Amino acid sequence: MITHPFVYRAPTSVAEAIEILAETPGISRVIGGGTWVVPECNRDESRPGVLVDLRRAGLGGIDVVGDVVCVGATATYSALMSSPDVARHLPLLAAMASGITGGRQIQSQGTVGGSVVAARPSSDAPAAVAALDATLVIAGPDGERRVTGTGMFPDASTSCLREGEILTRLEFAVRPAARWGYYKLKRSASSWPIATAACVLGEQPHLVLGGVSATPVHVDLGPVLARRPLTPDTIEETVRRAADSVSTPWEDELAPATYRAAVAGPVARRALEMAAHQEES
Amino acid sequence: MSHGTAPHLDEARPLAGSSVRRHDGDAYVTGRIGYTDDLSLPGTAHVVLVRSDVPHARITVDVRDALTRPGVLTVATGRSLAGEFGPIPNAMDPVPTGGQPLEIHVLPIDKVVYVGQPVAAVVAESLAQALSAAADVQVHYEPLPHVLDPEAALAADAPLLYESWGSNVMLSGTVGSGDAEAAAARSAGVIHGTLRTGRGAPVPMEPRAYCADWDARTRRLTWYGTTQAPHPLRHAIAEFLGLRERDVRVVAPPVGGSFGFKNFGHPEEYLVCVLALGLARPVQWIEDRASTLRYGARDSRIDYTASYDDDGRVTSVACDMVANHGAASATGAFGMAFAGSLAMPSGYQVPDFRCDYRVVVTNKGPWSPLRPFGKEAGVLLMETVMDAVARRTGLDPLEVRRRNWVKVDQFPYVTTTGLELDSGDYEGLLDKALTVMDYAAFREEQTRAREQGRYLGLGIGFEVLPEGADIPGALIGASDISTVRMSPSGDVTVLTGVTSPGNGNDTAIMQIVADRLGVAMDSVSIVQGDTDVCPFGFGNVSSRGILTGGGSAALAADDVAAKLRQVGASMLHVDDAERLVLRDGFVSVDGDPEQALPIAVVAHALYTVGYIVAPDVEPTLESTRTFRMRNIRHHADDEGKIMPFSTFSNGIYLSVVEVDIDTGVVDILRHVMVHDCGVMINPRFVTGQFTGGVVNGIGAALTEEVLHDREGRQLSAGFKTFLLPRASDVPAFEIQHQVTPSPFTPLGTKGAGEGGVACTMASLLNAVNDALSPLGASINELPAVPHRVLAAIGGGER
Repeated sequence: MITHPFVYRAPTSVAEAIEILAETPGISRVIGGGTWVVPECNRDESRPGVLVDLRRAGLGGIDVVGDVVCVGATATYSALMSSPDVARHLPLLAAMASGITGGRQIQSQGTVGGSVVAARPSSDAPAAVAALDATLVIAGPDGERRVTGTGMFPDASTSCLREGEILTRLEFAVRPAARWGYYKLKRSASSWPIATAACVLGEQPHLVLGGVSATPVHVDLGPVLARRPLTPDTIEETVRRAADSVSTPWEDELAPATYRAAVAGPVARRALEMAAHQEES
Repeated sequence: MSHGTAPHLDEARPLAGSSVRRHDGDAYVTGRIGYTDDLSLPGTAHVVLVRSDVPHARITVDVRDALTRPGVLTVATGRSLAGEFGPIPNAMDPVPTGGQPLEIHVLPIDKVVYVGQPVAAVVAESLAQALSAAADVQVHYEPLPHVLDPEAALAADAPLLYESWGSNVMLSGTVGSGDAEAAAARSAGVIHGTLRTGRGAPVPMEPRAYCADWDARTRRLTWYGTTQAPHPLRHAIAEFLGLRERDVRVVAPPVGGSFGFKNFGHPEEYLVCVLALGLARPVQWIEDRASTLRYGARDSRIDYTASYDDDGRVTSVACDMVANHGAASATGAFGMAFAGSLAMPSGYQVPDFRCDYRVVVTNKGPWSPLRPFGKEAGVLLMETVMDAVARRTGLDPLEVRRRNWVKVDQFPYVTTTGLELDSGDYEGLLDKALTVMDYAAFREEQTRAREQGRYLGLGIGFEVLPEGADIPGALIGASDISTVRMSPSGDVTVLTGVTSPGNGNDTAIMQIVADRLGVAMDSVSIVQGDTDVCPFGFGNVSSRGILTGGGSAALAADDVAAKLRQVGASMLHVDDAERLVLRDGFVSVDGDPEQALPIAVVAHALYTVGYIVAPDVEPTLESTRTFRMRNIRHHADDEGKIMPFSTFSNGIYLSVVEVDIDTGVVDILRHVMVHDCGVMINPRFVTGQFTGGVVNGIGAALTEEVLHDREGRQLSAGFKTFLLPRASDVPAFEIQHQVTPSPFTPLGTKGAGEGGVACTMASLLNAVNDALSPLGASINELPAVPHRVLAAIGGGER
């Protein structure tokens, strides 16, 4: 039960949302689906004075604009799973969404934008979004700005948003015929991810590990995978690089740091092998 | 699978033995069952507990600010109650067995001993007001050093939780007989090992909920709540409050699972009474999940030495068990260590056996009784030993078990801990399992898989579970009283002292009674869980719902049936009442439809025209019965042993797992279960009960573990950090039933309440180790979470 009194606001536009945040500095929290913030309030771990719900702000759409797929900040995992555009251009994102722990209730409530902003180490979305080289489009009192790459995830549970800003959408460049792989390791059905690996191969290959560190780990692929088919040797070399890339492994109640470091390689291997199978077929 | 197709036990008794559906299942699945939290008595005040932030400290509590908050009615502390109320009664007392005295207060008076321990109770008009005001209770902590693990707690200079004890050992003792060391010295080989089990927690769907209502006019207290044992709790509440037992009524509404956690002895059971008395209005406390998960179980370490001969026979087992109880409690949870060690030899012939056990207190939340009440310790121990003997001797693990089992013709068999195993056919269990599992084919598949880099393992688990406990000096007995009464219209009401944890034992008791009276199920109703209405009973502990409640109901129903026959014989002008048959709602002569009367007509006649139709028959259609279990023995024998259990249900499970050696993840591929709980009244419910037990065991074996940080704060406080198996984590169960009736119980039943947990833990542990054996790796600690498995392989250290 949320016992502290708070004001609930549901702005119907980005401008209104920004206005509300400007009026309530330091005491407001923004929710997309609310699957993280609301339980926190229930447990009395967070006591925002104003809860700003973006679900009526018109940010739930998924559109293709030119060669960019725009995923609205409040698009739910279910929306990702049922979107033909995501299926065609971002199958990795759909695969990630379909494996979200919590089943249909969470898939229909939680949002990929919310997960990116929450930046929790043990979340499914960050590594996948990073591997797809997303651009975050952020609105604030001073207008719009864009964030890419490692800037998206400054630290564990630390958002790249500044005071008064909201995430409005994620943009993904359409990459024709990019091969991809995704693997999630968890302890059991109800467990948060312990380690994930997301890879997108092609012109600019990316392999990103999630869960193993405070923030998603971009594996330095060097020249290994660029424009080359996956072979047992290149996979082996990449797995080695992946295993070596986890310098400060994450630790929580579900798995110790030594374990996360140890599974980084195997998890990377499985994502790469998935991509290799696509190559064959 | 045998759902709904089990053969009837008896032509004349078509219901008992068949898988009829629950009489109230529709109410459960459509949300019409009223749980305690649904009561909403007018004027109910709500309790919120303020809990300790620290593991060990002297406390002073300032409630002045909280008292000024809106809606607050009172704020109770240990100090405010201490003048009027003493410690709460113990469900079981360790003192008679040489343990320390327990003094658990409703709220701690001057010090806390674990994080999360309640220190104050805020009572307000609404839950929200109580929650809000709870933040304004000021607790000043004067920290004391704390201990979390039993090794540290046993050190000479360890901080003491309860200073008057002089140590942190609540209870210690030795069970067994013979000379294990001498036997080991004579034997061909000796095995040393250690087994650890992590801390589990009770997880009923419904946490605890208590509501007390003091009626100042009648000066009676009515207590509603989640309890397995209404009559024992009434006794305890009356003793605690200084009321006469008759002035306390305990009502147990339907519960969403019990598992031992809801027996009695929790401080909050008494807290709501004290507050209701003070406020003269209903007061309720509803537990949240984090509170439930603060109670523990298992968390034990066993160091063992076992010896064997070349033919694979185990010649001795000696072990030292240290149980981490957490803080002390009045629930009798310490008994899990005692019952667990008594059960240790399982169904094996171990000539020389000894277990030295110690129950150690630490600054964690207290143990709670939790099925299978400590008996998993011995099952894990013996099944580990059997596999170790197989490895050492080169014998097949199945063969080692066959060589060590108590044989069919040896029952009743007295184990080296003094338990008299009533009956069983352990080889029969295995034979049955092997009809489902092609053992040789699996071994071939395993070899092929290993060539492909896949690691499959098969594990065996065998359990013998002492049930139907009767503990001297405690309100835990192997009997219950049932009343069966028939109304003038032929309606049958069963009143019984056993309660239902939600598993359907009420329906099964109705089946038993309906059969014996020859009436349809819908002519029978049952009342449980109300001390004003039901005869005395010990509730649903120790797998006794059908054993004692069903047994006594059968006897009472037979009395009423005999009366119906007498009256029917008189009305049908037959001299020999024994010729009268009760079936399908009719009393008939030898089943002849031409010489028959509806049972309702006979009942009505006895009530209304008895002086005409049956002048010699006492005019009642009611009987209250119980029985004494013949095999319980409380007088100690020459070695000081007693025999406190009625029956010994048993089972064997074969698990097949695949271990992902890169990640340590264990996947269960098959789980074959053959169990024997004697006669089954309703195979559907037995299957349901075992299914729950197996899932429980899977959780304990693979996923569920409560962790604490160094400051004693619980890291596992919800279902994202304490991982229960979900539907997709469990395989399709392959369940077989074997029926070896108990010679001692009225219906031949043995109790099915605790089955499956221990057996599954053992079969999965052994399966994982079988899979790891080509790598020369093994684990000896559950749960076998991935990082533990990977560390065993050496992967965690790479």
